[in-house]
Amino acid sequence: MKPENQAWDKLFERAAALLPTDFADRVFRAARAGVGAAPSMLSQFALGAATAAICFLAVAVFKVQGTHEENNRAIADWQQIASSAEDSGFMQ
Amino acid sequence: METSTTTALVDLVRRAQRGDESAQREIILSYQHRVAGFVYAMTSRSDSVEDLAQQVFIKMIRAINGLQAPAQFESWLFRLARNTCIDHLRRQKLRRIFLPFAPEHEDVPEPLGAVDTEELDALRYAISQLRPQDRALLALVQEGRSHAEIAETFKTSVAAVKARLHRAREQLRQHYQSDHET
Repeated sequence: MKPENQAWDKLFERAAALLPTDFADRVFRAARAGVGAAPSMLSQFALGAATAAICFLAVAVFKVQGTHEENNRAIADWQQIASSAEDSGFMQ
Repeated sequence: METSTTTALVDLVRRAQRGDESAQREIILSYQHRVAGFVYAMTSRSDSVEDLAQQVFIKMIRAINGLQAPAQFESWLFRLARNTCIDHLRRQKLRRIFLPFAPEHEDVPEPLGAVDTEELDALRYAISQLRPQDRALLALVQEGRSHAEIAETFKTSVAAVKARLHRAREQLRQHYQSDHET
């Protein structure tokens, strides 16, 4: 008999003792409660679509906000140029 | 396995496939200790045995309808158990990457009384040093599965099983002796 064989027997005995006496009942209860159930295709698709929509919305919001700030900056710059041109009599 | 035992198992599996809960319960009662032993050998942790064994049987209940050959039930069940344990070990590995614990929290010792002998402790250490595939191989051999049955479980050839088994046994013996002698 190999030296570790006895230890293997003990390992299997120990593992068997770790299960509660109502293990089978617990399995059925967990199965009915949906524990460990794989998500359906529809729910996975819905989650993917929701994630994509949120990403798209975030990109759109940042883009619109960025463009708006850029326009405001450009208008302010032009106003400054126009007023300094007016002051120097260049516009007359 | 004897012919009468095989026939009885096939009948039981067919009943379970038809949704007969008493047949499913009978299967769980017949295999729960073997699956628990396999899970313990794969994970080396007593705190995950019940949870993982439960997952294996829940998967079994949900997927048994898809089993084409009821005579191959045992190989199929242990393949399910092996995949469940490997998924669990992978998740643990990923968790360690994203949520690294301090070294003292990483390897929390088993609670008092959980490991009752030095031999068992040494074996658990030796097994934990092996690859999950090799742990599964050794656990199946140890619980009396033939090379042909293991080849069926692993979807590989008998020759490949023998070669891997030889290597795994050597590695196990080295780790077992090194821990046992210290």
